[in-house]
Amino acid sequence: MSLQQIDAKMLSRMFLAGAKNLENKKEWINELNVFPVPDGDTGTNMTMTIMSAAKEVAALGENANMESVCKAISSGSLRGARGNSGVILSQLFRGFTKVIKTRTELDILVFSEAFDKAVETAYKAVMKPKEGTILTVAKGIADRSKELVEEGTEDMETFFRAIIEHAEYVLNQTPEMLPVLKQAGVVDSGGQGLVEVLHGAFDAYMGKEVNLDVTSAPAQSASPAKTSSYEAQANVDIKFGYCTEFIILLNKTFNVKAEMDFKAFLESIGDSIVCVADDDVVKVHVHTNDPGLAIQRALKYGALSNMKIDNMRLEHQEKLFKMSEGKAEEKDVEVVGAAKEPDVHEAVAETPHKDVGFIAVSIGDGVNEIFKSLGVDYIIEGGQTMNPSTADILNAVEQVNADTIFILPNNKNIILAANQATELMKDKKLLVIPTKTIPQGITAVVNYVPELSVDENEQTMLAEINHVKTGQVTYAVRDTVIDEKEIKKDDYMGIGDDGILSVGQNINTVTEEMVAAMVTADSELISVYYGADVNEADAEALREKLESAYSSCDVELQFGGQPIYYYVISVE
Amino acid sequence: MAKIAIVTDSNSGITQSESLELGIHVLPMPFMMGDKTYFEDIDLSQEQFYEMLKNGDEISTSQPSPESVMNLWDKLLKEYDEIVHIPMSSGLSGSCQSAMMLAQDYDGKVQVVNNQRISITQRQSALDAKLLIERGMNAAEIKDFLEADKFNSSIYIMLDTLYYLKKGGRITPAAAAIGSLLRLKPVLQIQGEKLDAFAKARTTNQGKSIMINAIQNDIINRFGGMTEEKGVWIAIAYTYDTEAAMAWKEEVEKAFPGYDIHMDPLSLSVACHIGPGALAVACSKKI
Repeated sequence: MSLQQIDAKMLSRMFLAGAKNLENKKEWINELNVFPVPDGDTGTNMTMTIMSAAKEVAALGENANMESVCKAISSGSLRGARGNSGVILSQLFRGFTKVIKTRTELDILVFSEAFDKAVETAYKAVMKPKEGTILTVAKGIADRSKELVEEGTEDMETFFRAIIEHAEYVLNQTPEMLPVLKQAGVVDSGGQGLVEVLHGAFDAYMGKEVNLDVTSAPAQSASPAKTSSYEAQANVDIKFGYCTEFIILLNKTFNVKAEMDFKAFLESIGDSIVCVADDDVVKVHVHTNDPGLAIQRALKYGALSNMKIDNMRLEHQEKLFKMSEGKAEEKDVEVVGAAKEPDVHEAVAETPHKDVGFIAVSIGDGVNEIFKSLGVDYIIEGGQTMNPSTADILNAVEQVNADTIFILPNNKNIILAANQATELMKDKKLLVIPTKTIPQGITAVVNYVPELSVDENEQTMLAEINHVKTGQVTYAVRDTVIDEKEIKKDDYMGIGDDGILSVGQNINTVTEEMVAAMVTADSELISVYYGADVNEADAEALREKLESAYSSCDVELQFGGQPIYYYVISVE
Repeated sequence: MAKIAIVTDSNSGITQSESLELGIHVLPMPFMMGDKTYFEDIDLSQEQFYEMLKNGDEISTSQPSPESVMNLWDKLLKEYDEIVHIPMSSGLSGSCQSAMMLAQDYDGKVQVVNNQRISITQRQSALDAKLLIERGMNAAEIKDFLEADKFNSSIYIMLDTLYYLKKGGRITPAAAAIGSLLRLKPVLQIQGEKLDAFAKARTTNQGKSIMINAIQNDIINRFGGMTEEKGVWIAIAYTYDTEAAMAWKEEVEKAFPGYDIHMDPLSLSVACHIGPGALAVACSKKI
């Protein structure tokens, strides 16, 4: 099968198939992370970004026109963007759809123009574009399409095959452009993600049978899907015990009002509700203590199929049991995310208005408390382990009743998504202080002076965060070599602002070596935030050791409660 | 022309020996430790005071007794026609209130200035009063002038700890709330009534730059800018740690080149509430 042109219907099929293929490869892409940290998440971030768009595309149905498909792709991915690779992907889509939205049919020339625009838009979104990344792969695609147009290629299949081939070639070159990739023996994970999207789209074009059901994809709001904190899991109190899912085969109309009524009913008996209506089916997901009620109510609208009810409390027990056997098991702990969901929706509607508010991205009870005690209005749960999306940030902005809001991303992989939020928000002034670590965020908010103007405060915070050095201790998930350091799976690693500072099998030695690499003659204060997997006595022992090693510094120990990172330590 | 005497208390940082030099009369502030009363700079030195503070001795401040105030006034009025009395801030002590009450019996001869100054800015007020006498004002005019000028100064103090401030209750709730979880160095501002929270810092260097920026800001926005004429007085103060204070003075001098910068230890009734290790900087608009 080969067409010379692609219409809106085919485009949306291709997009959904691309999204689906990325989702299928996401764990594998996560593992392409340069740093062998337990929470590599490029695959997850890109998947959640594209799934947010895929859901909007799927909701349009089969007969949507080009303009609405484009709008769904663009706005869905912009809002759903999380992580740097996700934000770049969303900008690629934004540029791409800018060109094609006015057409009804796409030919090779249009594709070529659209790829060009996509690349241009994405490069603009990144302050310092780096080669050897998803950007380079995208640029390769655009360059190759131009060549193909010049060569007079007209056959769409030939065109697609050629650009995918070239994209893979560029992807395989990425280790030559970025030495860190070469050392780690991986190709760029974002670039790989983009190639997977193309593969999926091409399969759909070729008429291959593809599962386009995107409704169950985890593109919902931030929930820490992965965590190594066995303690934290044990403490989770599951409010609604049965995960209930089914599809209603409608035998009468299910209009907006019916949908709202049904959702309201589900909300009255549980939480974590998904209710997606298509033309003749409604997909329902709810956590409730009485699945029977949900089912009875649903029967009013039609017959039910694909029914699935799980007892989450039992599952949770099993999971805990497994986790206590070894720390390896830590993926897809849906229960935790689900139980946390209500926090996200906690109503903060009637907070008193103020001029200036603060939003911080943070994870860990201790760190969250510190931010709150310093006057941060809203905490977005997340961090390296879970990058919140642009939409999550916008939701948080709505919860804060202030004219100007400072946003502290506290992670370098969240800054772009936060910047993207500032562009989408019109009613309030959002200012992103590009804090890359939790300690930088703490320093920023500590230095805020209510008496001074927003501009002056912004300047002070921007200057002060540069005086904070951060080191974080975690463990390696695979063997690799970075910065000339050989790392074995399960080794402890001390990661500084610019790379790995120490590696070894003893957590204390690794931590102390990391601190030694951070302290200079001018250092005044060492702050230690110990994580959920460290006990207080060990942390206290570390504090004492650091105190005697660095007599000119104050050493402060705080409970951080963060997962995965045993210690987060700052020197300033 | 009436002969006018200037009276202040030892909170101004003017020592007994300096008082003779300046011709300003200084009432020593009393301190109670156990059942014994000490007088600042008379039988209680800075060193003795911090020794006691560190030992955890319960130290309480008091205001000069009405008797001592009236004795001084009576003595001075034999030689002078009028008195300008500049007590420590009414927001921090009842001294001002008492003096105003006592002054009612003096037929306007004693003018009590309620301009809410303390330490180095209180000292500046006493010096300003001297200048106003030379300009030919009478006591009542000087009082009005200084009171109208009361907000033309600010003090920023960085504390090493909130411990003493919380203990003494001389702090607004806002200020007490800061530093709840992290060990922070609060920067307080004194302007008018009370000590209030201004900002907070994690390290001494951060605190210092916050204070220097705040003073620069005040000079530019409130006191007529950083002009050639140097229209403000800058002063610094500290508790206990002289060495740290000398370093601080150098930094302030660097930030404000060409300004003549005065340095005093903070008076003990302030030190009593903020504890050792504090650094302060103040500016007052020249009159």
